Amino acid sequence: MNPLELTLGIMTAVGGFVDISELVFAAQAGSSFGYALIWVFAFATIGIIVLGEMSGRVAAIAKQPVFNLMRHRLGLKLGLVTLLASLISNLITCAAEIGGLAIILHLLTGATYMLMAAASVVVLIATIWVLRFKWIERTYGLLGLFMVIFAIALVKAHPPWADVAAGLVPHIPSGLSSKELISFAYFTVAIISAVMFPYEAYFYSSGAIEEGWGPKDLVINRLTCIVGFALGSLLAISILANSAHLFGPANIDPELPGSAAMQVALPLGGLGLILALLGMLFAVAGAAVETCLANAYSAAQFFGWAWGRQKKPWQAPRFTIAWVAIMLLALGIILTGIDPMKLVEYAVLFSVLVLPLTYLPLLLLSQDRHFMRTHRNGLLGNVLGWFYFVVIVIAAIAAVPLFILTAGGQA
Amino acid sequence: MKPTGRIELIGGLLDLPLLDKEGVYCGVVDDIELDGASNAPTVKSLLVGPGAYRGRLPGWAMRIVGGLAGTRITRVPWEAIAAIDSSVRLLDTANAYGLHRSENRARSFVPKRGAM
Repeated sequence: MNPLELTLGIMTAVGGFVDISELVFAAQAGSSFGYALIWVFAFATIGIIVLGEMSGRVAAIAKQPVFNLMRHRLGLKLGLVTLLASLISNLITCAAEIGGLAIILHLLTGATYMLMAAASVVVLIATIWVLRFKWIERTYGLLGLFMVIFAIALVKAHPPWADVAAGLVPHIPSGLSSKELISFAYFTVAIISAVMFPYEAYFYSSGAIEEGWGPKDLVINRLTCIVGFALGSLLAISILANSAHLFGPANIDPELPGSAAMQVALPLGGLGLILALLGMLFAVAGAAVETCLANAYSAAQFFGWAWGRQKKPWQAPRFTIAWVAIMLLALGIILTGIDPMKLVEYAVLFSVLVLPLTYLPLLLLSQDRHFMRTHRNGLLGNVLGWFYFVVIVIAAIAAVPLFILTAGGQA
Repeated sequence: MKPTGRIELIGGLLDLPLLDKEGVYCGVVDDIELDGASNAPTVKSLLVGPGAYRGRLPGWAMRIVGGLAGTRITRVPWEAIAAIDSSVRLLDTANAYGLHRSENRARSFVPKRGAM
């Protein structure tokens, strides 16, 4: 195990953890419910650690990424339904990330939102075209580490640490009205969805294939998931806690990503604000790349096309056309003028509906003696895996009614 | 698993990805063609391509697939298989079995410059 590779892998996972949905929902959750939803972030993070580790292990041992094996397990009909649902969900998420990117660039430069959306897509396409997989992942992941400024701001803001710690204990705050309880439930489902987005499993397992993982990489896989995702989650929790400490008492609703950056400006001033915006810029840009590539990976793996960004774009032409088309389609959605924050809500809703179909084949495969041999799930992996599967099924069933009842978290 | 061994056709082979001898993905086992001349049918070829979805999808879905992706079918003879595990590995390149036609067509639209 190369310590440098491990460190870079973990840092990339930390910097790449937060995306536009986590930014928005963490900030809103903090301002609306104080520290009471911190445990949901911690709970969902354990879920993505368990299922992310499985997707990396399956890729390393079975030598196939999630979508290849999904079709083999679910069959053509259910596989096609899953493919279509995940394509739609990832496309909406990609559009939301591009919208978020445009807002942040607008705040940084003052240029118009639409122009910044188009410019972002040009830069994103250029970087995916020019760089190989490892450098795409590392460039955005490592630059996303600017997000650490949110954790520094939290320390500087001196929140009531006992309350922050109490937020880690699963509970529902007492004294909520029924309307507030429904809103709390909506935020719970939305945070689970945002932390466990299906694109993360597609991207992570495809990345493992791109980098040629084998049994010797299982330790890196486990450490990257556990340490990288846990530290990444701390950044999201910092955003929530900052929001609870600074925005909640002032009745500020941080609906836009720019509001989250203000959390840093208050304790750390102008430099902090710029670093926060840069962190958000690279984290969200990384997520846009991941969602776009996740869709191209899914389609290519489902239909058996040549794929991968270790290859040159013309060596996997249908895959290349797919990711370029997805990026342009996502830009097209933004250029219609739709509110990007609405897209974030739709992305979270669609994603939670796709989650069970994404993770069921993964669970079945990760305990398959034929494919996984001695590396199949142990007792703990199976118990945790099936527990989180039940959780995401419940979240998927509850998502649509909660979305309607709360008008997308607005009520 | 050797291709000469007994295999569970539906569970073991259908919908597995195909890899050519250079390790390039070149399709998925969309259906299987049996040689029914004897009482004990044997696999004659793997069917690859959207046309092979017929019989596996409802008619309305097949019409959509046909409209979007065409109805071509490529037959890969059983003898062309080197190994079956989490994928089906072929003895020769995808071109040798006509599995790279769509990929080659798409290649003409992709500029061949600028990438590391």
